[in-house]
Amino acid sequence: MGASLRALRALVLLAGFYLLGVVLLAALAGADYAVITWLGGPIVLKLLIVSVVLAIPIVRGLFMLRTPKGEPPAGVTVTEAQEPLLWQAVRDVAQQVGTRAPDEIVLIDEVNAAVAEDAKLLGLRPGTRRLYLGLPLMTGLDEMQLRAVLAHEMGHYANFDTRLTPLIARGRAQLIRTIAHFHERADKKVAKEQAKQEKKDEKRIAKGKEAKGVDTTGEGATYRAMAKIYTAYGNFYLRATRSASRRQELAADLAAVRVAGRDAAASALRELNVLDSAHDFYMSSYATLGVGAGLLPRPGEIFGGLRRLLDARSADLEDLRRELPTEPTSPYDSHPALAERVARIEALPDDGRGGQAAPAALALLSDADAALAALERVVLTPEALALKRVDWEDLVHESMTLYVGRGAEEIREAFAAEGAGPGLAALLDAVDADPAVRWRIADRFPKSEEAAAATGRAAREFTRPVLRRALNQLVTVELTARGAARWQLSWSDSAALRYGADDFEDQLELALDAAVADRPDTESLRKLVLAP
Amino acid sequence: MIGLYILGAVLLFGAFKFLRGVYFIRKAKALEAEIGALNAGTEAVEAEEKAEKAAAVVALGFVPESELDTENPAPVPPERTAVLDAVRSGDWEAAAAYIEGAGQDWQERMERVRPLALAAAEDDAWLLAWRAARPSDPTAALVDADTAIMVAWNVRGGQSGSRTTQEQFRLFRDLLVRAQETAHEAQRLADPADPTPYIVEQPIGQGLGYSHERYRELWAQVVQRDPKVLWSHISGLQYWCRKWRGSHELALAFARESAAVGQPGDLLSLLPLIAYFEQETYEDDLAAETYFKEPEIVAAVDAALLDLAAAGDAHPGAPRMRHMLAYLLFWQDRDEQAVEQFRHVDGYIGALPWSYAGEPKRRYLYARDWAVGVATPGL
Repeated sequence: MGASLRALRALVLLAGFYLLGVVLLAALAGADYAVITWLGGPIVLKLLIVSVVLAIPIVRGLFMLRTPKGEPPAGVTVTEAQEPLLWQAVRDVAQQVGTRAPDEIVLIDEVNAAVAEDAKLLGLRPGTRRLYLGLPLMTGLDEMQLRAVLAHEMGHYANFDTRLTPLIARGRAQLIRTIAHFHERADKKVAKEQAKQEKKDEKRIAKGKEAKGVDTTGEGATYRAMAKIYTAYGNFYLRATRSASRRQELAADLAAVRVAGRDAAASALRELNVLDSAHDFYMSSYATLGVGAGLLPRPGEIFGGLRRLLDARSADLEDLRRELPTEPTSPYDSHPALAERVARIEALPDDGRGGQAAPAALALLSDADAALAALERVVLTPEALALKRVDWEDLVHESMTLYVGRGAEEIREAFAAEGAGPGLAALLDAVDADPAVRWRIADRFPKSEEAAAATGRAAREFTRPVLRRALNQLVTVELTARGAARWQLSWSDSAALRYGADDFEDQLELALDAAVADRPDTESLRKLVLAP
Repeated sequence: MIGLYILGAVLLFGAFKFLRGVYFIRKAKALEAEIGALNAGTEAVEAEEKAEKAAAVVALGFVPESELDTENPAPVPPERTAVLDAVRSGDWEAAAAYIEGAGQDWQERMERVRPLALAAAEDDAWLLAWRAARPSDPTAALVDADTAIMVAWNVRGGQSGSRTTQEQFRLFRDLLVRAQETAHEAQRLADPADPTPYIVEQPIGQGLGYSHERYRELWAQVVQRDPKVLWSHISGLQYWCRKWRGSHELALAFARESAAVGQPGDLLSLLPLIAYFEQETYEDDLAAETYFKEPEIVAAVDAALLDLAAAGDAHPGAPRMRHMLAYLLFWQDRDEQAVEQFRHVDGYIGALPWSYAGEPKRRYLYARDWAVGVATPGL
């Protein structure tokens, strides 16, 4: 199907949406006319109101003509003079794919590369092309893999896909919003009815009667019925466009193979799967670890640290590379499942271009570290930019120390409330004086249903690990405060406490066991932790 | 105007349909209420008959439902009650003397350890004092190990795996590992001829999932010290049951081996009865009224009756044997013989097979009252 034919179909499908609205409105108007001519009395007014209420979402759907302009992702626009190698690579790829190179390249903070075009006249005339290129994406790819990704994206240009995309996207967005609107109204009605019935029940209870219970089945059914009509059209719409969009995706994959070679194209897709979750994990567990303590890593490291994580965990990530999702990410996603795309590419004959080591994609930048730092300045909020910047080692140690210390506050309060505090020494004295103080303290911590129900020695056994953890936390605070222990950053594992001596950890385990035993011995803990 | 007539007709027809619907629904509701009343009536009559029969059985000297003891398999000896009272007030020496009073009767030793362990699971101040006062007392270590097992099970609870939390599973395992350490300590401290520190390890192996090989090694330690302790055989059979680490075949093979080891009077012929009962409990498609009548089970019951006659009531395991026999004899339609067993154990039903039922009293009364009804002319 040629570009203009596809454009025509997109137009027809979009028109169908409006037509559906008009037909539904006409049906309502017809019904109203019939009611007015043949019926009399108050029922007429009631039926008219119902039809008007139903017409509102339809009309709103019709007049939500413009898809809200998505905010373009924040990023750093780089000129050819700033990044000659990157521009060269992009131009190469564009030429090989057979399309015009983008007019702008914007570096962004996502694991993504995307092309966008401000197409005019419903996508029939070209406009400014922009390439949005994620630095985290570049971090995980080598140059050939990056070329494969770029070729895939620009393959869409070559097929005029990008110019039509707004048209298809508009139809899709319109439908989804109208359906959501009906559902929202139905839900609101259900919620209202529920609140009403609950209030009734409360009154009944207040009067000493038994509650009737809440039943909202059937509420908002008219809204849901309208939503169903639109959902049916939506499914038709998706079916009509999906096979075409799938074909476009697979054609774009073939373009990637032509440009970068079979193996690079396949491995790039596998790498995408890894990078997505690795980046999420990195951002939550490393880059923003210190935010609660007012700390961020050094400039350039917020996005740059991902490199270290990928190096240190390459073995763990191997599983993600091998096992690809076999389901598309959402029913509205035009991409076929990753596993299917990779399988199709790998089934192609060997083009002899595999096995060559390519330099890292970040090497295409004239100064990767500077680019990473520049990106931070653009995407971070002023508040985040104002945070203190420290080395990774200090970031981990200082923030973990602070978090553990905050957690220990509650523990200290519980100990103090039983007269065993505030410090570790005072606590151990109190335990020596009366071992049972430990179980009274532990009673102040939250516990599971089973633990709360337990009696006798079973209750104590539920409590013992809780107490031991609390004690360990106090010990950690004590040791880190004295500099006898330090939180150690690890790129391949979670942060761990490192003690001065090698066998200290084993001794500490034994000492903690002894302190929470039925017949407590606090001596070894004193020697280990409190002795200067 | 014609349109108005049509609309009127449609509305009238609709109204007719609606009213007819209402009429039928009302009628159905009235019928339902009638059925409910009839059912309630039947139930009331049945309940009355049942109550009458229960009263008649009680009139023959059997214990009424409300007085059934579901904790103990037999009356608690006054001496045990006294010791349990004593330990609650901190007198651990009473416990030590009581258990040691069993001497070399290992079955009796275990029968005395268990109730003390159950008491210690609730309040173990006396046990801690005993362990502190006599760190190398093998009896204290034995009670401690058995207590740890009881506590582990209290922590785990009796729910199925899916309704047991991670916290419970983790603690259960940790506690069994500690119980194992204590059992090993007891083994080091005890008289080399004493099998009870090994017997106490049996349920630990079951809970921790010992391999067949390892469990057999433990079993060898038990039987080389005394091959005929009923307690150890009953405990071992649990391990080999399908619900734990074995199968129906392994359990029955183990039970038959046990029975073969015993002389008349050792009561080891109880083991095959438990194995059959476990299988019937596990398999939903086995019907008690046909399965328990199979010739090999009838033969096993006959052998057990002879064994019991030789043992007499002096054997501490006799009540357990009688409970199991009563149930199987009842299913085998040997109601007079069942009633004889019921007469011996009536009133105390904290034993197999009743304890496996969701409502032990109901299972017991159903079997007992039926058997008594059949065996008593005119009832």
